[in-house]
Amino acid sequence: MSNHTRRNFLKVAGATAAVAAAPSIVRAQSAARIVVVGGGFAGATLAKYLSLWSGGTLDVVLVDKRSSHVSCVMSNLVLNGSLGLRDLRFRYDALKARDGVQVLRDNVVELDGRAARVRLKDSGWLDYDRLVLAPGIRFDRVPGWNAAAVPHAWIAGTQTTNLRDQLRAMPDNGTFVMTVPKSPYRCPPGPYERACLVADQLGERSGAIRGDGARNGIPKVVVLDANPGIQAERETFTRAFEDLYGDIIRYHPNATLEAVDSENRVAITSIGDFQGDVLNVIPTHKAAKVVARAGLTDGGRWAPVDALTYESLVPGFPGVHVIGDSQASGQPKSGHMANAQAKVCADAILRRLAGRPVDGPERAANITTNSACFSPITFEKASWLTAVYAYDPESKAMKLVPGSLGEAEDWNKDNFETMFAWSDNLFADTFG
Amino acid sequence: MRNNSLLPVASLQFVLALAASPALADDPDLDRLLASQCAQCHGTDGRAVGEIDSLAGKSFSGLFGDTREMKDKDPNDIMHRQARGYSDDQLRRIAEYFSMLPEKEKEKKPEEH
Repeated sequence: MSNHTRRNFLKVAGATAAVAAAPSIVRAQSAARIVVVGGGFAGATLAKYLSLWSGGTLDVVLVDKRSSHVSCVMSNLVLNGSLGLRDLRFRYDALKARDGVQVLRDNVVELDGRAARVRLKDSGWLDYDRLVLAPGIRFDRVPGWNAAAVPHAWIAGTQTTNLRDQLRAMPDNGTFVMTVPKSPYRCPPGPYERACLVADQLGERSGAIRGDGARNGIPKVVVLDANPGIQAERETFTRAFEDLYGDIIRYHPNATLEAVDSENRVAITSIGDFQGDVLNVIPTHKAAKVVARAGLTDGGRWAPVDALTYESLVPGFPGVHVIGDSQASGQPKSGHMANAQAKVCADAILRRLAGRPVDGPERAANITTNSACFSPITFEKASWLTAVYAYDPESKAMKLVPGSLGEAEDWNKDNFETMFAWSDNLFADTFG
Repeated sequence: MRNNSLLPVASLQFVLALAASPALADDPDLDRLLASQCAQCHGTDGRAVGEIDSLAGKSFSGLFGDTREMKDKDPNDIMHRQARGYSDDQLRRIAEYFSMLPEKEKEKKPEEH
């Protein structure tokens, strides 16, 4: 239940210059405060929709350790030079201009579920009436892995340009090795899409794709998949790997990454050691540290939540929601899905604050989210996948609606063009 | 409410829709939430940027008719797949919601900035 007698002012730990420069968090006595941790697709969408649907009457504080978010969505197109990082960097200007929303650049270091407050590194304790954690993923430790030498580029930003630059510098007929994490991971088609784009890039450069008999020898793209098979758009990627890029791509399922020799760019796996001119390691994921340390993963990889509201299913955290990649509720992990979840969560928060039910039969029967995304397969053609999910009260998770899951029958230029229209709308809906 | 595992989810939703008297719509926030799931592609409040169709202010019959029809069409199109994810009642609610929205966002008066 919302408690409107919380302290109105942000308590600060000390009078440092940084704190003095930070905006004072002031709110009207009656405004409920929602703290949102993480300004990616989930957090930004949530903050926006809370403001929108409350008519700007809530006190929403979004906390992110950075002053902008670089989208992973579409970031594989940075690798082949089609896009620049600037095309995918989203500041919080639109959000800051919304009524009731403040954006703090800070880091959450502690969650006190009983006292309903979070401690920020610079700004100190921040009370909340509701808390939404949307901090994304972190990676499993892999012995020997140095992410600067061997980028993951699975959290976008300098990692992406690092990998792009390494790809540019490698020999046209060289070997690119990448590892695919064990499911569930963010963006199921992503790794296979990346393999296609790198194969396309190297293939063009070496002449291998045009079938001129490859001037300097055929490049190799080695895909070491921890899973037993392709995790999304199976038909599309099987055809791409075997036909379009048959000479270039070597796909190995059931390859568990055990260690990395970062200096020599060798992936050490359960099926052997693979060296590349460029090595891209994407380790298996788990929820970001702040979620795990708070106890919200209950010892597991992800935060279990009720997909009706995204409230934590772990006892002891009243008023705490987890959305986006950090949570688990039967849905694939992606920016598009995170945006979708944020809306269900926003609706639930508004109901909780108003004392209205969240679990009536009509609402439970109409909780849906959807996934849609386009995958570039070459530098000018793309495929797509889509699915719709509906709430299942028994499991408290989302289940795929039969008949709604599909992939494109082929990759083409029309899809490639629509891809930009889709991502432009997703970005605008999330950050605009 | 138990989800009978013998019934596909879409059918169960259809049964609930019949039982729930959609015409009453005493919870407009539900329509708003359903419709908000279209925004990822069609823009916030159904006002799209670029080449994708906007939905705000389009006729109810057009929106419902098109999406209802898509459920029976060849699935090799994202929207034809998406449409299959919703019951007829949900498509009706979504169409109703968008048809009531102004096509363009209201211009803010100067003093509201």
